[in-house]
Amino acid sequence: MSAPTDAELIEVLAHLPVERDTAEHYRGYLRRELVFNRCGACGRYDAPMRPMCPSCWSWDMVPTPVSGRGILHLAIALHQGPPADGVDYAAGPHPVVTVDLAEQEGLRFTSTVVDCALADVRIGLPVELTWIERSGAPFPAFRPTTIGEA
Amino acid sequence: MPRNPIKDAVAIVGVGSTGFSRTDDRSQLALGLLAATAAIRDAGLDASDIDGLVTIGEPGAPTSAMFASSLGLDTVTHHSRPSPVVMFSIIDAMNAIHAGSADVVLVIAAMLRLPWASRSAANDPFRRRVPSVIPAIPESIAMATGYTAWASRYLHEYGVDREAWARVAVNGRSHAASNPLAVLRDRITLDDYHSARMIRDPLCMLDMDIPVDGADAFVLTSAERAASMPHPPVLIHSASVGMIGPNTEDQLPTFQRHGQHVVIDQLKAKSDFWIDEVDLFYPYDGFTIITSAWIENCGWCPPGQAGAFLREHWNDDTDTVLVNGKVPFNTHGGSLSEGGTRGTGHVREAVVQLRGTAGDRQVPGARTALVTPGGFFFNSQGMMLRAG
Repeated sequence: MSAPTDAELIEVLAHLPVERDTAEHYRGYLRRELVFNRCGACGRYDAPMRPMCPSCWSWDMVPTPVSGRGILHLAIALHQGPPADGVDYAAGPHPVVTVDLAEQEGLRFTSTVVDCALADVRIGLPVELTWIERSGAPFPAFRPTTIGEA
Repeated sequence: MPRNPIKDAVAIVGVGSTGFSRTDDRSQLALGLLAATAAIRDAGLDASDIDGLVTIGEPGAPTSAMFASSLGLDTVTHHSRPSPVVMFSIIDAMNAIHAGSADVVLVIAAMLRLPWASRSAANDPFRRRVPSVIPAIPESIAMATGYTAWASRYLHEYGVDREAWARVAVNGRSHAASNPLAVLRDRITLDDYHSARMIRDPLCMLDMDIPVDGADAFVLTSAERAASMPHPPVLIHSASVGMIGPNTEDQLPTFQRHGQHVVIDQLKAKSDFWIDEVDLFYPYDGFTIITSAWIENCGWCPPGQAGAFLREHWNDDTDTVLVNGKVPFNTHGGSLSEGGTRGTGHVREAVVQLRGTAGDRQVPGARTALVTPGGFFFNSQGMMLRAG
């Protein structure tokens, strides 16, 4: 499959806030890759995606997949919130978590947790990346680190 | 060492408010004009005296140009439309006066319940036309949700329960009971807090400020000119808005260093007095976690101990906090109970108290106030006020 054009990307991911500076992050969703910019000069990752490295002011920002492994840093449960495909607040609170990613201390990504009882969605939980379907397209989520990889 | 050449040089000389409700059907222009004309009259002035106009950029709010024409102003030599949260506008007005851009500046904040924050507002066809500013997907902690997310971290890092937030909520409501401008005036108990409906766990209905319709306005001028005005002037001793670089909600490095710390360091360095000599404290309470953070970061108690501190300084007769039996917090009820004004209520109440005209709510002999509007990320703000 050839890479989708910007117009196709925006159409396929109409439910997500795809912008010029963040397009490569979202294009990664279609390959089931979690992508952030990494600075070609100093090696630091940056989130959200921005055109210039805030650490060294290099413009050599390279879209780079991360492992998606990390630790829950912030964890909440929405009893109500924005509507989304597959999210049913009436069925129970929807967990939203911010994960400290393994690649770099303080590099974080926010999504939901699946395959986990709500009571177990707690700060400190080791998680890994998984992909769910939303509005007909892949969407990155986390699940507790599976046995064997821990 | 931070400089403070504007210390005590600018005064707040007029305040006006519509009071706040959840049933108003007037426009933001109408509400803003009511507050503005009240503030100008309160200062003993008329339209011809106003040469500066700062309109807070609340969603849907009219421009300064619209207010200037609607108020029939003659000549305006400074105007702007800063982001919401009050101190961006107060500081702009101060600086304009001190620099000579204008002599008398009117600040207008007109709030409206918005369709994404209020079910009843969503039924109003006019309000539905205001463009949404909330995130498009649930899996975001941008905007309001960021406070809930860091509230989860606060509980985790300090191993505490929600007591601080319960007492912040009760304190506000107890004070609002004697504030005729307030929208929520029925007292609540700590038990009411703990049984309130969860909205975004760990924060519940009573942890969030209440969307309202209403407006506040202020008139500022030089301390020199203020001396001949009807009310005792309230002098701005120091003011600051601050943030750190990595301020995005989910990338904030730690809870121990953010915009509040920047503001507090500035205020301490710029001021001749700090909390030991403060008679009144107005910590922002858009969310209760913001209030507990201001309490701790200002140094009223160590980090993580706001709950124990509020319990220790609790007055059971009034169901409010009274530090050392003396210093009250948010005597108007705060945004939680007076109404969500992005800090204009905190400033107005501090001014009225320092004038000595707060009626039933008056704190005897109050001469100094610390006002700290805004949250952690990109709108932490503060101001030290003193009676002139």
